[in-house]
This record gives sequence, C-alpha cells and structure tokens, in this order.
Amino acid sequence: MRRAPARIALTVVLFLLGFLVVAQLNAGSADQGLTALSVSELTELVANVTTRNNQLREEIATLERQHESVQAAVNRGDTSVGQIQADLDRILGWSGVLPVSGPGVVVTIKGPVPGDAIELLMNELRNAGAEATAIGDIRVVPGVVATGPESSVVLRGVPLADPIVITAVGQAQVLAGSLGRAGGPIAQLNARFPGVDVRVVTLDLVLVPATDRDLTPTLGKPRL
Amino acid sequence: MTAIARRIRTIPSWQITLGAALLGLGFLIAAQLASEGPRVRYTSLERTPLVETALDLQAQQESLKEQVLQLRATIQDLEAAGQGGTALTGELNDRLQQARMAAGLVALTGPGVVIRLTDSTLPIPQDGNARDYLVSGQDVLTVVEELWLAGAEAIAVNGERVTVGTAVVDIGGSVLVNSAYLAPPYDVKAIGPATMYEALVASPGFVDFVRNRSETFGLGISYAVLDAVELDAYAGTVNLRYGRVDASPTPGPVASALPSRTP
Repeated sequence: MRRAPARIALTVVLFLLGFLVVAQLNAGSADQGLTALSVSELTELVANVTTRNNQLREEIATLERQHESVQAAVNRGDTSVGQIQADLDRILGWSGVLPVSGPGVVVTIKGPVPGDAIELLMNELRNAGAEATAIGDIRVVPGVVATGPESSVVLRGVPLADPIVITAVGQAQVLAGSLGRAGGPIAQLNARFPGVDVRVVTLDLVLVPATDRDLTPTLGKPRL
Repeated sequence: MTAIARRIRTIPSWQITLGAALLGLGFLIAAQLASEGPRVRYTSLERTPLVETALDLQAQQESLKEQVLQLRATIQDLEAAGQGGTALTGELNDRLQQARMAAGLVALTGPGVVIRLTDSTLPIPQDGNARDYLVSGQDVLTVVEELWLAGAEAIAVNGERVTVGTAVVDIGGSVLVNSAYLAPPYDVKAIGPATMYEALVASPGFVDFVRNRSETFGLGISYAVLDAVELDAYAGTVNLRYGRVDASPTPGPVASALPSRTP
C-alpha cells in the first residue's frame, strides 16, 4: 500500500527532472544570445540580417537572369562569350582583381594611429556596404591587414606614411554617416587618440586600384 | 555510529531514489532560475516578437544562401557544357572558374588550423562587465586578421566565408559575420601553410590577444592543426550597385588577369 504513492511521487519528480534537463539544454541553443539582447540591439540585428537577405534576393534575381541567358545560348547551340565575360568582370571587380570606380568617400587620418585603428575603420566601411576599398594605393583584399604600433603602421610590408588615406567606393552618404555616427569608429578613434585628425570627404567619383596579389588558393582545393 | 548505520540500512530504497531525484530537481531549478537572470533584465512586450523575427529572418537567410549556391552550380555546369564551342569560350570558362576560387565562391578543402573561441566560465566580479567575459566581434576579427598575417589563404567563421566584403559586427555581445547571426562557440577555420600555426602563436598581436582575453577574462581559446580543413563557399552577393568595374581586356593568357603572387 505504501509503494504505490511512492512510485507516483517518484514518477512525478523524474518527469520534472527530465523536463528541466531539456529546458536547461535548450537554454544553450542558438537563440540564447538573442534573448540576452535589448530591444534596440535586437532592432539593429534585425536590420542587419534584413539587409543581407535583400542582397541575397538581388543576387538570386541576377543569377536567374544569368541562368536564362546561358540556358538560351546552350539551347541555340551557341556559345555565351559575352555572358561569361560579363560574369568574369563582375567577379574580378568585386574581388579586387580589377579596378573599380564610382561614388564614395576618401578618409584622411593625420597623426599617429596603430594598425588596429585602421582595421576598425575598414571593418566599418565594409559593414556600411563599401564595394571596393584601398589604403593608399593598395587595394584591400583578403590577407591585406594594416598592422603595427602608432606611427609604424605597415601594410603588406610597406610602411604607411602620415597622413594615411583610405578610399572606398559605395553609397557615399551611408559610408560617411556610418563612420561618423555617435559612438562609431571615428568617435572611438578620437577618444583613444585625441591628437589624431580624421576627415571624411564624400565624392561623386573615386577610383580604387586593382590588387597585384594572386588571390588564387594554392593549398586549398575545390571541395567536391 | 553503528546505530546510525543500522538506521540508514532500514531506510527503504525508494526513499533514497526519491531523495536523490529531489536533490537533482532542486539543482536544476536553481540553475534554470540563474540562467534566466540576464533575460529578465530586458523583458518587454517588444522583445519576444523581435527575437522571433530575428530567428525567422536567419532561417530565411539560410534558405536564400542555399538558392544562391544551387543557381551558381547550375550556371557553372551549363557554362562548362557549352565549352566545346570555341577555344575562346573554354579559356574564358577556365578564367571564370579560377576567379570564382580566388573570390571565395568555391568551397575548399586543404591543410590548416581551427581556432575555437568560447565564452568565459569564470565568475563575473560584482564590479565587472559581463560582456568582457563573452566572445565579441572584435575577438573574432582579431583572430581572422592574425590568421591572414600568419599566411592563411582562405578563412571561414562558423561556415561564413571571409571575403573582400566581410565585416564582423558586434551587437550587444552577439556576433554577425557577413550580416549572418552566429551563435557561440566560434570556429575560425583557415587553410594555409604548415607553418601557419607557429607563425600565429609567434605573432605579438596574437600573444597580446591571448593575454588580454584568455588570461584576464577566461575566454576559451583552443586550436587544432588539421590535414583537411573544410571551408564553405561564400553565398552572398557579388554585385556592385555603385561601383563600375574597369573591365578586363579581351581574353588573353590567364596570368594577365590574375597577376603573380607577391609575398
């Protein structure tokens, strides 16, 4: 007679135990970081992800048009030299192998700053949608990193002279606004290095040169 | 002592099991309440729909990226199928494939290293800032930059390929790479030469990073040197909306468009 209530109690407790174990494990899942964000941070995150999704939709539309064009050429038994050349130019321009021109900003930094401060500005420009960037006359591509302490910043082994000039192609007002926003990278840089002068000029036309680096992987092979 | 032992032996086994289960239950309730702490701070009516929206958008993004990759693969197959036409088409296709690899649009495998960054497990002091004990966007960016300087030729963070347009953003302790929300832990994978790890740990910048973030705040920094590191292809846009490409000359040798490597 005593065993039945004991078994019920044990079952209830073990059920609760199992439930809490699952809840605790779920607390470590992907949305854990999100639940710790404030409303304004969540809004900023949603805006970022929405922008990327819109860009992806544009890319899908471009690829669908390209697909139709290539398919039509194949159906005609034709070659699609023009289409392939256009695709090649698009990729080479985007990746840094060809020069790119257009509206954008020129950022001039006068005074001693370390390499990581330059990288902070570059990261912000990329986040604001810069389509091509250069430091001095060196196109910034993967593997090109400004490094070194104040007054001794080096880019690809070449010391950068004062002032350091960054050029970026993109929506000029957005790039300038992103750099100059309250608490943004220029504000942070001014707080760290009060003597440093950072100027941003928006222009209708800036030119970003091509890289002279070979970006083709030599150790990495296409994954099948 | 023998009286106590006799008393313990007389306790029915179900009571011992129930006692152990209740102990576990109490522990888990306490852990659950503790883990709810930071969330309670931000509870408001707007938050739940915003979290749901963010998760929904992230799921959409995964689907869109999949569509991009599939379309690229289909186009590539069609272009390759049409290669028989002329020598010019074949040459252009070879250059296109090489350009895609160089741009990060092709998934790669090769020797390299994986650096894993995990949030600190140290107790946060009363006057401490909880976010100092979490992996930040700046931490991820530092590791990426140090790997480039150590000789990496391709890098990805939790599946997001690092390309010419990649930004690493920190929003309230959450890390976005290529505007994709990434959940911790963060695996920074790099393909590169056999000397890459030695070059990384010898870099003053990386040494400072380990000292400042791991030794001071307890961030987890672990590594693995592997014969085969797998990197996903970049699935984002390669369109220029504002820039105009100074177009390449008519096809010549591949080397003329893809210049030689400089150290």
